[in-house]
Amino acid sequence: MTRTKELLAFWLRLICFVLLLCVVLHYTIYVLTPKHDYGICPIVNFYQQPKESVDVLALGTSCAYAGVNTNVLWKEYGIAAYNLCGAEQPFWISYYYLEEALKTQRPKLILLDAKASIYENDYSKRGRTILSTYGIRSLPTRFKAIAASVKPDDFIDFALAFPQLHSYYPGVVAESFLYPPTNEGRGPHWKGYIEMDETEQHQKPSLVWTSTKKPLNTRQQEYFEKLLLLAQEHEIPVMLVGFPNPDYANDHMYYNSLWHVAAQHGVDGINYNDPKLRVRLRYSSDFSDWQHLNVKGSVTFSRRLGSDLCERYHLPNRHGDMAYQTWQHCTDDWYTKYPEYLPQTEE
Amino acid sequence: MGILSLDFLILMTALVAVHYCLPVRFRWIGLLTASMVFYAGAGWHAIAYLGAVTLITWLGGLYMGRCRDKEKLALAQEDKATAYHTKKQRSYFLAFVVLLVMGGMAVMKYGHLLYGMIQSTYLAMTEGHKTLADWSLVAPLGLSYFTFQSVGYVVDCARGKADPESNPLKYLLFVSFFPQISQGPIMTYRQLMPQLLLPARFEPTVFVSGFQLAIWGCFKKLVIADRLAPVTSAIAIGFDMPGWIILLGVALYAVRLYADFSGGMDVIRGAARMLGIDLAENFRRPFFSMSVAEYWRRWHISLGVWFRSYLFYPLTTSRFGLSLSRGGQRIFGKKIGRTLPGVVATFIIFFLIGIWHTANWNAVVYGVYFGVLLSAALLLEPLFKKIRNRLRINIKAWWWKGFCILRTWGLILLAQYFAFTAGPKQGLSLLGATFQNWTFADAGATLTGLLEPLEWYIVLVALLLVLAVDLMIEFGADVNGKLAGGSFLVRWPVLIGLIVTVLVFGCYGAGFDAVAFLYTQF
Repeated sequence: MTRTKELLAFWLRLICFVLLLCVVLHYTIYVLTPKHDYGICPIVNFYQQPKESVDVLALGTSCAYAGVNTNVLWKEYGIAAYNLCGAEQPFWISYYYLEEALKTQRPKLILLDAKASIYENDYSKRGRTILSTYGIRSLPTRFKAIAASVKPDDFIDFALAFPQLHSYYPGVVAESFLYPPTNEGRGPHWKGYIEMDETEQHQKPSLVWTSTKKPLNTRQQEYFEKLLLLAQEHEIPVMLVGFPNPDYANDHMYYNSLWHVAAQHGVDGINYNDPKLRVRLRYSSDFSDWQHLNVKGSVTFSRRLGSDLCERYHLPNRHGDMAYQTWQHCTDDWYTKYPEYLPQTEE
Repeated sequence: MGILSLDFLILMTALVAVHYCLPVRFRWIGLLTASMVFYAGAGWHAIAYLGAVTLITWLGGLYMGRCRDKEKLALAQEDKATAYHTKKQRSYFLAFVVLLVMGGMAVMKYGHLLYGMIQSTYLAMTEGHKTLADWSLVAPLGLSYFTFQSVGYVVDCARGKADPESNPLKYLLFVSFFPQISQGPIMTYRQLMPQLLLPARFEPTVFVSGFQLAIWGCFKKLVIADRLAPVTSAIAIGFDMPGWIILLGVALYAVRLYADFSGGMDVIRGAARMLGIDLAENFRRPFFSMSVAEYWRRWHISLGVWFRSYLFYPLTTSRFGLSLSRGGQRIFGKKIGRTLPGVVATFIIFFLIGIWHTANWNAVVYGVYFGVLLSAALLLEPLFKKIRNRLRINIKAWWWKGFCILRTWGLILLAQYFAFTAGPKQGLSLLGATFQNWTFADAGATLTGLLEPLEWYIVLVALLLVLAVDLMIEFGADVNGKLAGGSFLVRWPVLIGLIVTVLVFGCYGAGFDAVAFLYTQF
């Protein structure tokens, strides 16, 4: 073999090696990332949904994934909803999730959780929140999401993933290697709703329903507005949702600001903490903690939410559509576990 | 810029790309630029100091060369007086340059001790009312390494073993070549300079073997050495621990030191090899040594060679050495008398090696211990030989080799008590504690108190892997060469496996404390 041929063969082999190495490292990052249902699972699982099947896309924090019971929405209204939410998910991650989601889905409505408006930090407070971005398939979008989430000095560490992730190796188990993840035992049909089984007794929040505003964090506001513009660009209506929570007194003035900004973009929503709405939630039995609805509460709330959605938007009832079997499977699985919440007519 | 940083990886990638695109005779410019970029991170004071040492030794080398030429000319013209005069001038100037540069190193390394002494005296004089302004110095990165290398160059020029370099920039590359500058190996001008000026052409197998060596070095440093760091630190103050734990800790410290230093050296040699430059081996599996002398011939080889070339031989062949030999022969007989200069030189060298490591009493004990041990070995060797003959010991038998290796381990471990503790008192206390409380009742709890069980398994498997590779090399197998030249079906899985292992099980990033290379501190 002449030297030129030898060198050419070497460079070709080197390119193949680098490509193979990238694939292996990419998979290793996936294996190492904790497969929390409040973390990477919703976005990884999202890619498993049939193309252009999600009609209602919920984006937001734990309040959203514990509140929007996709099974109730399907069972009682035939709404195909998916919760693309994460713990303490700020608007910047919701924005990049939406950017990624729109590559495969054409939702008819976006439910946007208002909770992120109360976050005052310029960057994501916890590393675990950022780890959920490792589920974003498109590397440019993933890097943009990371860049938005962390201080510039920390970007490289998070973008390369290993400096942040590799210490998770003691938590790697056989299931960590599975793709897609098991969604903490819920299987591949899961739609992002996370059950909170505990019950804590709380009282109705005590507050004066003023219109006073507390300024939003500038970065949260920036990405909130970007998200609204992106949705408008794709002609998808956005509905802001204030999820009921016993600690609402602390959130009220932020929500006022958020609604004000949303109104400037022609967006409205429902704040279910408003006592005038009479959602029929019991603060003594419908919450799992000071922020989240429990299973019972989520069923009550989602019945009301479904009714409001049907009233406000023309959402198709997908019952009987073979393309939506996965929602049916998910709901069947869920009601097998929680038969007490079946609609009374079926009981 | 650390050699295990992302910056270094980017610098290396860029350099490799540029290096092999440049014509061979201009490649040194790329190397010099990269070396300066690498060193820029050390701070302006380090760059200034490096520049000063480079300038002094470069001028020194030029002067030595001129003196030698003058001497040659004078001798050719049979002008013995001029030759003698020039030689004298050369010697004085050499001594001046060596003292200046080595003195500078001493001030940088040990100045803080002197400052501490002056400060405490001043405080005592002013009854604690006044303190001196802070002028403590920070030793520049790679201080010892570039000092030794540049001093070696001037001496070589004086001895006629090296031709003085006329281009100061090329000489600057010799002194500052990255990544060697951070922790060696210390090389002579003859070994390194031709390679820097005319690096070998690109050879795929050599390039791959360099890459493999660098990854192997990362494995040793990040997976083993840094994982053991908290264990050895905890044991260094663990006087109430069972004796066997302390002994284990001391042994692990020796292993950690080896994995740290040889790992770093593998990264450096691997990176240089990827550029077509072959740096000298600094470690030859020292823990397989059958004697302490052999251990020091296998451990930090380039430092030993430097001391041998520039201190041992001048000492033993100097007027002092010769008169010591003559005097010794008169008093102790021919055999002992002849070895006496070697014994004294050995003692001095190990004393210096000791205090080169750190400026504290432990380092003195460490140096004196090895000095005494090796001097005694030189003096008593005839006696040992007699005993071996009398007992009819077959020195090639496996059991004898095993015994010798264990004996060497024992003697080396004894020294480690003073290497990883803060002072001789602490070292002695720890040594005393080793012989107490040999209870194994809570062995599991004690071990897991130091490191999680999973971490112990990782260390164990990694050590077994290093041991297996070292054993193969010890028995003559060219593991790296075979892998680099072999089928990619074998090489790729091994390399990818190693890279993933380093990235996953290495100690770096979030959740780990970064541990600097131990030898960059020296």
